[in-house]
Amino acid sequence: MRFASHPHDFALIAIILGMPLLGAFVNGLWGARLGKRAVRLMALLAVGSSFLASIAAFVALAQTTAESGDGQGKLAWTAWQWMRTTSGQGAVVAIDVKFSIDALSGVMMLVVTGVGFLIHWYATAYMANDSGFARFFAYLNLFIFSMLVLILADNLPVLFVGWEGVGLCSYLLIGFWYEKSANASAGKKAFIANRVGDFGLLCAMFMLLHYTGALDWNGIANGATSLVHPGDPFRVHVWPIGGGEYTGMLHFLQPARPYTISAATAIGLSILLGCTGKSAQIPLYVWLPDAMAGPTPVSALIHAATMVTAGIYLICRLSFIFVLSPFTMMAIAIVGAATALLAATIATVQNDIKKVLAYSTISQLGFMFLGVGVGAFTAGFFHVFTHAFFKACLFLGAGSVIHGMHARIHDDEKAQDIRNMGGLRKWMPHTHKTFAAATAAIIGVPLTSGFFSKDEILYRAYINHSVNPMARLLKGVRLYEPPEWLGPVLFWIAVLAAALTSFYMCRLYFLVFWGDFRGWAVGRPSQAAPEEIHGNADLHDSHGDDLMRPGYAPHESPWQMTVPLIILAAFSLFAGVINPGFHLMAEPPLEHWLHPVFADALADSIHVRSRAAYFEGFSAAVGFMAFAVGSIVAWWAYVAQGGQPTARLAGAFPRLYGLVRDKWRIDELYDATVIAQVDSLAETASVFDSGVVDGLVSKLTSLVVATAGSILRVLQNGVVQMYAAWMVIGLASIGWFFAVPHAQATVSGADSEDVIVSAAPGVGYAYRWDANGDGRPDTPEFSAYPTLKMHLTPGQVVNVTLEVKNAFGFVATRVISVSMPHAPTSSL
Amino acid sequence: MISLAEAYFFLCAFVAVVGSLTVVASRGPIRSAMGLFLVIVAVAGLFLPLHAQFLAAIQFIVYAGAVVVLLLFIIMMLGPDAIPASDRRGLFARVLGASVFIISGTFALALSNHALSALHSSFPQPKMEASFGGIDSFGMILFTDDVVPLELSAALLLVAVVGVLAVAQGHVNGSGKVLADLRATARRAALRADEARGRST
Amino acid sequence: MISVEHYVALSSILFMIGGLGFLVRRNVLVALMSIEVMLNACNLAFVAFNRARISPVSASAYGGASHAGQIFAFFVIAVEAAEVAVGLAIVLAFYRLCSTVRSDDANHLKN
Repeated sequence: MRFASHPHDFALIAIILGMPLLGAFVNGLWGARLGKRAVRLMALLAVGSSFLASIAAFVALAQTTAESGDGQGKLAWTAWQWMRTTSGQGAVVAIDVKFSIDALSGVMMLVVTGVGFLIHWYATAYMANDSGFARFFAYLNLFIFSMLVLILADNLPVLFVGWEGVGLCSYLLIGFWYEKSANASAGKKAFIANRVGDFGLLCAMFMLLHYTGALDWNGIANGATSLVHPGDPFRVHVWPIGGGEYTGMLHFLQPARPYTISAATAIGLSILLGCTGKSAQIPLYVWLPDAMAGPTPVSALIHAATMVTAGIYLICRLSFIFVLSPFTMMAIAIVGAATALLAATIATVQNDIKKVLAYSTISQLGFMFLGVGVGAFTAGFFHVFTHAFFKACLFLGAGSVIHGMHARIHDDEKAQDIRNMGGLRKWMPHTHKTFAAATAAIIGVPLTSGFFSKDEILYRAYINHSVNPMARLLKGVRLYEPPEWLGPVLFWIAVLAAALTSFYMCRLYFLVFWGDFRGWAVGRPSQAAPEEIHGNADLHDSHGDDLMRPGYAPHESPWQMTVPLIILAAFSLFAGVINPGFHLMAEPPLEHWLHPVFADALADSIHVRSRAAYFEGFSAAVGFMAFAVGSIVAWWAYVAQGGQPTARLAGAFPRLYGLVRDKWRIDELYDATVIAQVDSLAETASVFDSGVVDGLVSKLTSLVVATAGSILRVLQNGVVQMYAAWMVIGLASIGWFFAVPHAQATVSGADSEDVIVSAAPGVGYAYRWDANGDGRPDTPEFSAYPTLKMHLTPGQVVNVTLEVKNAFGFVATRVISVSMPHAPTSSL
Repeated sequence: MISLAEAYFFLCAFVAVVGSLTVVASRGPIRSAMGLFLVIVAVAGLFLPLHAQFLAAIQFIVYAGAVVVLLLFIIMMLGPDAIPASDRRGLFARVLGASVFIISGTFALALSNHALSALHSSFPQPKMEASFGGIDSFGMILFTDDVVPLELSAALLLVAVVGVLAVAQGHVNGSGKVLADLRATARRAALRADEARGRST
Repeated sequence: MISVEHYVALSSILFMIGGLGFLVRRNVLVALMSIEVMLNACNLAFVAFNRARISPVSASAYGGASHAGQIFAFFVIAVEAAEVAVGLAIVLAFYRLCSTVRSDDANHLKN
C-alpha cells in the first residue's frame, strides 16, 4: 500500500501537527468544565493520534525513499504563504509556513510523539489529584505541538517559531505551581537564559539570509559556498567591527590588518550560542537544574527527552554549514566536553534525586555536543535517540519514587532527598527494575543502547579531525584547522566524564534502592497537621488511619505509571540494535537511514586518523574500563562500606566539597557580574525616569502652565466693570481696524504673460492704481474696480502702486512688485 | 433766526444730556432714576419729529411707565443700603476703561460725521405717506413681515418672567447653609473694608 | 436744518455718557440705569437713520416705506424691558446675599 501519493502535498503532516494543537486548545479553553476524565481522554487522544499518524508518515517516507533514485525521500506540506523579503543580493525570498519530513526529522518525530505519549499517560496518574489538571495537559499538548513545529519545519523562521514555542511551554510548565515564588523564578530563569541564546539564533538567521539568500534547508545548501568565499564582501569583519577604519582620535585601535572571519564561522558560532541556551551547555546551562521545580513528567519530557535535544537537532540539520568552519566544530566539541565534565562533577555530590538527574542530563547533552562537534553526526543523533528513552525512564522512575516517598514524608524537599531514601526495592519492585535498566543504559553496560551510542562518540572523538571541505576551492587562502592533539584530549575528558557518570548514577541507584530505609525519622505525621504539609507530589485523597501507623512504608505506583516505565526500560535496553557499532552489522540501519542527510556534510570534511581500526578496540576497552571503575567504586563506597569513604573524603576537603555541591558557584558568579550590571542599568534608568523625565516633563510643564495661569489670573478680579473695560479696549481695537483702510493685493497668473493684480476688498473701499510706475495715478478719481490686468514680457519687473480709500476718507498706499521670471533655458 | 424745529431739537437734546448726566453723576439712585426719566421723555420727544409717533408712545408707556417705576420700587425697597459708601478702590481700571471709551467714541463720532456729510443726504425727504410711523403701519408690519421676531420676543418675555421669579425668590430650601456661609463671609469682608477706610457717611 | 448728523451726534453723546456711567459708577443700580441711557441712544440713532432713508425702500406686505429702524427700536425696547427685570432680580438676590449693591463686592469669582 502506497502511503504518499503526493510527496509535496503530504497533508498527514497537518494531522500530526494539528492534533496536539487541538488538544491544547480544547483542554485550555474548556478543560475545567469538561472534567478530568474528558481532559485525560482528549490529551491522550491528541498525542496518540499524532503518534499513529507519525508512524504512517514514517512508512510513507520509507516508501518514498525507496522509490527515489538517490535515496533522498522527503515529504513536504505548505500550510500558507507567510512573507516575502529581499536577500543581501537583492533577490526576493519567499518564506512560507512549510513543513517537511525527511530522514532526520522522521526519526525525531517518532521519538517525540512516542515518548511524549508515554509521558502523557504517566502524567494522567501522576497529576490526578492536582487542581490544575486541565491546564497541565493543555500546556503539555501545546509543548508537543511546538516541538513538532520545530522538528518538522522546512525553514529557519518556522523552526524559530517552534523554538520559541517550546521555550514558552517550558516556562509555563516549570512554573506550573506558580503559587510558590521559587517555581515562578525558575520558570523566568529558564526563559531568560533561553532568550540570550535566541539572540544568537536570530543573528545567525539574519546572516544566513544575507549571505546565502535563503532560509530553507535546500536554499541554504545551494548558497553554502558563498559562506566561505574569501572575498571581502563575504567575510564578517570582527575588528574593526563591521568594516571601516578607526581614524583620528581612535587611530590607536586600528589593527595592522583587519581581522575577519568567514561567514560560516560567524553563523556557526551564533547558532552555537542559541543551542547552548536551549540544550543547556556552558555558559547557559544554569536554568536546567532550577527547572526541576516543575512537575516530574515535565522534567522527563521537556528537560530530558525532547526540548533540550532541539539544539543538537538544529546542529544536525545545518550540519553542512558547520563543517564549513572547522573552528566552529572545535568550539562545539570543546563546549560539549567541558560541559560533560563539569556537570558530572557537580552531580557526584548532589543529594536531590531530580538534581542528580538534571546534571546528568546536562552531562549527556555535552556528550551529544561532543559527538556532533567532531563530525560524528549520526553518533550524536543516536545518543539523542537513546538518551530520550533512558533519561525519560530515569525521570519517570524518580517521579514514582517521589510519589511513594511523599506519601510518607509530606515535605517537598525532604521527599526528594536521597539521604532519606534507601531500600526502596522491596516496596517498589517495578520502579526498581526499570530504574536499574535505565541506569545500566546510561552508564554503558555492554550491549545496552547507551553503551553503543556513548562508545561510538568516544571512538569518533579520538579519531576524527575536522578540515574545511572547501579546501580545494580555496587554494592559497589560509584556513583554520584544529590542532592534532584535540582529538585525544577530548577523548580523555569524555572518558573521565563517563567514569563520573557511572559513579554518580550507581551512587544514586544504590542510595535510593539498596540499604535500609532512612526516612522513618523524617517528618512524622504526628508532628504536624496533614493539611498544612501536603506538598505537590502527594496523590492520596485521604490517609485515614494510615498516618498513625508507625510502620507505614512507601508503596508502588499505579499501573498507569509503571507500564510506561516498563516500555521505556525495554527501549533503553534494546534500542541499541538500530545502530550497533564494532562492525556487528555491515551497515547499521540508522546510519544507512541517515546517510543522505549527512552526506553533504561528511564529504571531505572529516579526516580520520591513520590506523583508525586499531583505536576502535582501544576506545572500547577504555570505555568499558570507565564504566567498570565507576560502578565498582560506587558499589564499594555505598554498599560495601555504607557511605563511609565518601563522607570521610568530604570531611577532609570541606571547602572543595562545599564548592562542588554549590555547583561551582557559577550562578553566584553570574549574579555578581552580568545580573548585577543589568540591575545597575535598570537602577540608572529608573532614577533617570523619576528624576529627569518626571521632573522635566511633568513638573516643568505643570510649572509653565501654573505660571501662565497665575499671570492671567490677575485679570480675573471678579468685578464686572473690569471686564467691561477690557471689552471696551477690545472693541476699540476692532473699531480701529475697520476704520483704517488696508491696502493688500494678490498677484495671480504669474506663469503666463497676462497678470491679474487683485486688491483685497473691504467695506466702502475705492481703489486707484498706478500701473506704469511713473509715480502718478492712472486715473484721478477712485473707482470701485478692484482688479488690474497687466501684460508682462519675460524678465520685466513693474512696481504697481495701489491706493485704497474707505468710506471715512482715509487713504492707504502700498507698492506691489510684479515680475515674471525668464523662461527656463532648457527643459530637462 | 432759529426755526421751531431746531429749537425743539436743541431743547430736547439739552434735556436728554442733562438727564443722562444726572443719571451718571448723582450720588443717590433716586436722583439717577429721575434723570433716567428725563432722558426717556426727551428721547420720546425726539421721536416725534422723526415720524415715529407710535414708537414715542411705546417708549413713554413701557420705559417711563414700567421700567423706571420698577427701578424706583427696587431702590425704595433697598432703602439706605442703596447708597453705598464710596471709596477709591479700582480707580485705575475704571478710569482707564472710561477714557478709552470716551476717546474711541469721540473718534467714531468724528468719523461718522465725516462719512455722513460725504453722502449728501438731508432732511426733509420727499413727502411720505401719512401712515408712516403710525400704529396702522406698525401693526401691519409686525404681524406680517416681522411676525417671527414678535413671537420670539414674546417667548423671551415669558422666559424673563420665569427667570425673575426664580432668581428673586426668597430662601430656597437646602441652600440656607450655603447662603448663610456666604453671607457671613461677605459681612466680615465688608466690616474689614469699612474699618480699613474709616466709616464715612 | 436738522439733519441726520445732528441726531447721530446727539445719540453718540448720550451713548458716551451712558457708557461712561457704566464703566465708572460702582453702584449696580446706577450702572443698570446707564445701560438704559445707552439703549435709548441706540434707539434714537435707529429711528433717525430710518427717517433719513439711507436704506432703499424695501418691498414688503405693507407696501410703503421701510420701517426697519423703528421696528428694531421697538424690539429693543421690549428686550430691554425684560433685561431690566432680570437684572434687577439679580441685584436683589445679590443684595440678599451680600447686603451690598456695590459691584466691587461682587468678586466671588475672583481668581
